Amino acid sequence: MHALNRITVLFLLVALALTACSDTPPATPPSASTPPSASTAPSQARAVEITIRGRNVSPPPGRVEVAKGEKVRLVVHSDTGDEVHVHGYDLTAKVGPGNDAVIEFAATQTGLFEVETHESGLVLTQLAVR
Amino acid sequence: MIADFLAHGVGGRQDLPVPFGYALAGALVALAATFIILTRSWPRSRLRGAAAGRPLPPGLEKVLDAPATRIALRVLGLAFAGWVLAEMLFGPQLGRDNAAPGTLYVWIWVCMPLLSVLLGPIWRLISPMRTLHAGLSRLAGQGPDRGILTMPQRWGMWPGAAALLAFVWLELVPPDRGSVPAVRLAFALYAAFTLLGALLFGSGWFARADPFEVYSTLAARLSPLGRRDDGRLVLRNPFDGLDATPVVPGLAAVVIVLLGSTAFDSLSSAPQWISLTQGSGSKLLWDTGGLLGFVGVLGACYAVCSRRPREFAHSILPIAVGYVLAHYYSLAIIEGQRTFILAVRGGRDTGLVVLDTTLANPGFVAVLQVVAVVAGHITGAVAAHDRATRVYPPGKVMAGQLPLLLLMLAYTYAGLTLLFAA
Repeated sequence: MHALNRITVLFLLVALALTACSDTPPATPPSASTPPSASTAPSQARAVEITIRGRNVSPPPGRVEVAKGEKVRLVVHSDTGDEVHVHGYDLTAKVGPGNDAVIEFAATQTGLFEVETHESGLVLTQLAVR
Repeated sequence: MIADFLAHGVGGRQDLPVPFGYALAGALVALAATFIILTRSWPRSRLRGAAAGRPLPPGLEKVLDAPATRIALRVLGLAFAGWVLAEMLFGPQLGRDNAAPGTLYVWIWVCMPLLSVLLGPIWRLISPMRTLHAGLSRLAGQGPDRGILTMPQRWGMWPGAAALLAFVWLELVPPDRGSVPAVRLAFALYAAFTLLGALLFGSGWFARADPFEVYSTLAARLSPLGRRDDGRLVLRNPFDGLDATPVVPGLAAVVIVLLGSTAFDSLSSAPQWISLTQGSGSKLLWDTGGLLGFVGVLGACYAVCSRRPREFAHSILPIAVGYVLAHYYSLAIIEGQRTFILAVRGGRDTGLVVLDTTLANPGFVAVLQVVAVVAGHITGAVAAHDRATRVYPPGKVMAGQLPLLLLMLAYTYAGLTLLFAA
């Protein structure tokens, strides 16, 4: 009985310690999903700008939170010729030196979608539409 | 991400009704509490395995077991295989317009095993390769269970584990995995591997080596429908079905491949992993190493902590199934529909596929992920505890399974953290 009680306490301590660690990086505040541009000027599209140099993507691939129905304006600069593809929405645009890919669309479908280049197979970003 | 053209739904930390840290703590406490309650109130084995179950009404059993029903299922399987073949050969040749990739990666790989949890070993009943082999055996005038050679018993399910590892590599690593030629090659290799093996070793090969049958039959261990040791079709406690999982060599390896590959899929779709690997120019090597590393580390931890890997492998099965459900549920809803629409269209381009995502709304997906992971682990803890009461002497039951419990706590922590990584 005593051994069991000690184990119970141990588990609770371990559980708390583990979750305490995971709590330190604060979860994305809910407001992050509402882009500032949308609140100030509803007609303006959500701007996402990405630059490719060689196999280097900047800003590094991350997740862009988009509200369902929001307009997205994706601009990609690249130092090599390629094709940009938004999965799920199946939108493509050519890109190359001096020729930016500009893709504008309304995010009507919820889900997690990758934006990729076809030739080099780079993931540029992920769109989380909710 | 699984065959990169496939989309998961969203269901992240911010979609949970409670902060993620609370959900994680709750999951760990629930599992630890289960273990403590079990050690106090479940001193002797209660499960009866294959002997348990309440027979179905005789009329229903007769219909389900009727030769006509079985033949109808086989015809259905053949028709399905014929359609997939036609779609691959004559359908649109662009991966995202063709229904075959979704059929392989979503219907067969994700939906079929999850349906097996509800209905029983579906793949075994419809398997077109089994039907083809049975037909060939009949033409040759010999029983399908006889082969040219006898398969060594010690192989157990190792051929299936190897085939599953090859499949998850295809599913998660090569950049072209969603293309029609890749899917065609995968089906061709699958057909050759299962049919040649069955010709060599007899139809017993399918149960040990066909990756889809191995997966589906194991998932069906958790089904409330099962066959009792006297041959009757019964409704039974899924814990009894799970306990009756045949203890064979390679069983643990199969389950660890399923668990490790699902965990790796969570990792490889996280933006952090993508940034780390794609700049290097050798993403293929990174991803291959990552997948093998996950399977290897999970397997090594399991082998050490379970002490008797073969006898406790069934307790990891519900954990793997829970994690698969958590990770692939939204994908099954979204991409299952897309595949169906592509299939019905039959290659005619009628514009963008519009999907109903009501069942994959973020709040529901997020809660389901936590519930599935926790339920999987609690089921595993119960199965392991009952087994421990039989394999360990009375005084050593708790001490004997403590390392396995610690491992399950670590799996829960790591699994939920990976699922909610981004």
